[in-house]
Amino acid sequence: MNKQLQQIIHIPPNPPVSPTHQPTEKVYAALIEPKHANTIIRRLNQIAPLQNLQHLKRIQKKQLQGGKPELYVVLCLASENETKSNRMPPDVEDIVNSYHLTPFITEVNKYAALSKEEWEEQCKLWPTSYHPPTYNIPGITGFSEEDSKAVFNFMKSTVELAKSGDHLIVNAAMIVDPLVGQIIASACDEVCSWHTGTSKAKTETCDFKQLEGFTSHVDANITAKDITFLSNGSANNLQQCYKAVSCLNPWWFAQQSFHSSPCYCHPLRHASIVAIEASAARDRHLFPGFGHNEKSYGVDCNSSSSVSLAKRQRVDLENVKNSGEQDANTEGSNSLGRPYLCTGYDIYLIWEPCAMCAMALVHQRIRRIFYALPNPETGALGSVHRLQGEKSLNHHYAVFRVVMPELEFPVER
Amino acid sequence: MESDNLAYMELAIHQAKLASESLEVPVGCVIIKDGEVIASGRNRTTETRNATRHAEMEAIDNLLEMWQRDGLSKAEVAKNFSQCILYVTCEPCIMCAAALSFLGIKEVYYGCANEKFGGCGSILSLHSSCSEPFISDKVPQRGFKCTGGLMASEAISLFRSFYEQGNPNAPKPHRPLVQKKVE
Repeated sequence: MNKQLQQIIHIPPNPPVSPTHQPTEKVYAALIEPKHANTIIRRLNQIAPLQNLQHLKRIQKKQLQGGKPELYVVLCLASENETKSNRMPPDVEDIVNSYHLTPFITEVNKYAALSKEEWEEQCKLWPTSYHPPTYNIPGITGFSEEDSKAVFNFMKSTVELAKSGDHLIVNAAMIVDPLVGQIIASACDEVCSWHTGTSKAKTETCDFKQLEGFTSHVDANITAKDITFLSNGSANNLQQCYKAVSCLNPWWFAQQSFHSSPCYCHPLRHASIVAIEASAARDRHLFPGFGHNEKSYGVDCNSSSSVSLAKRQRVDLENVKNSGEQDANTEGSNSLGRPYLCTGYDIYLIWEPCAMCAMALVHQRIRRIFYALPNPETGALGSVHRLQGEKSLNHHYAVFRVVMPELEFPVER
Repeated sequence: MESDNLAYMELAIHQAKLASESLEVPVGCVIIKDGEVIASGRNRTTETRNATRHAEMEAIDNLLEMWQRDGLSKAEVAKNFSQCILYVTCEPCIMCAAALSFLGIKEVYYGCANEKFGGCGSILSLHSSCSEPFISDKVPQRGFKCTGGLMASEAISLFRSFYEQGNPNAPKPHRPLVQKKVE
């Protein structure tokens, strides 16, 4: 297996199209001498501009094995019905003759690529340029070095989360405020370890304990930079029992063959669901007055939250300036910057979520989803379904796969 | 049977009305086993600030808590779900439809279709997704029988009157809220 590099891949709303499925057009091309390139290109742009193929690069450089590059140029469009020689405009013929070129017909992509993946496919045919649409969600058009570092660090600590305790490998979820690098809530699958209280009051206490768990994260003010790196090879255990990962195997519950032990299980407590619950509990704790007494909000904010508010407001302002459309951030925040649900937050997951979790993350208004490993049988973010591309939904997040070279892919064939 | 269906859906509608009275999006449900109502639920997304707390999730959690208290084994819980029928005023969303399929519920009746989020035919068809797993030691996917349109107009009129008031909890109102005068 080839050693993969650590990278972040955007999983677009539409499945990438292979170049054979993208419409193509035939053009005349020819090998030219590098020293003539400038003159020829300038002349061609005058006499045979590629009006409807603006995305196409006029020139293609091919590196030969000997190390010497070859330059190919698009001369003009070729019509399918006509024979070679009499369809080239006379001006182009002049160039062909004066530089002793040998024109040939080749195929190029007819339309500009709509996604980075499509563009990468196109370039295998003939290089094109790609102008990504101006999305509001950062990262779709690429990550800065600093941002990628933060993403990898958050993913690494999410992996740590799943490995801890019992060596039972589960999915883990970590909701993060990317603006301040703060962990809002984190959780693992709890389908096998669920304990309910016998009364509502007890449930409340449980909630509160959990809450202290993540508020201590908040107090420690963990930032992406503080998170320690995973040592290489520490994820070997991942191979062993991925069957326990809820999103990979959500129907395990219907299996009749388990021991008749008392039921401390909740088949729906997948990591994302538990993390969403924890983030909601945090919000109720930090902003208890919401919905009852407007004036009480924000009073209890600790200092790190205040930093978060200030930063968020600043970024919101930039968003407003930069986009004519309403950004989800500004739309969701109230004047004090308390986000509506998880608006503006990211979630890190080890495994691509199932349909239940992916839809839960739509409901809770997560802005970006980062997952490390695909879920080929039940994944809802590209593998089986593609919720980020379901137009009818009222919210759309951006989805990224974070390729972690140290993780094995137990279910990928 | 038809009249039973209507009677159960009436109960679900009642739950939806309770949601509406608490300023929650009016969706309600009941779960029936052996002809008996064993759980009910209504939307609690606003109160909990957790947008996943749909009526179905509330009712399912009630059941799981109850069965855990009663000391049921996992096998018994799974068997129980396979005998349950859900009546819900609105087509289960993609999240809830997936959840119902994971639990192996027997059957679902719903009121109006959910054209934005529906997971039982409108957007995805998770109720009918049955496939053989690639990996043999995995559990096959389960679907459930699903029937829509039961008392749909009642469910819709609940939505209509709720949204006509304006949802005070929406992130940014598209219509001005009706201001109630406080004397």
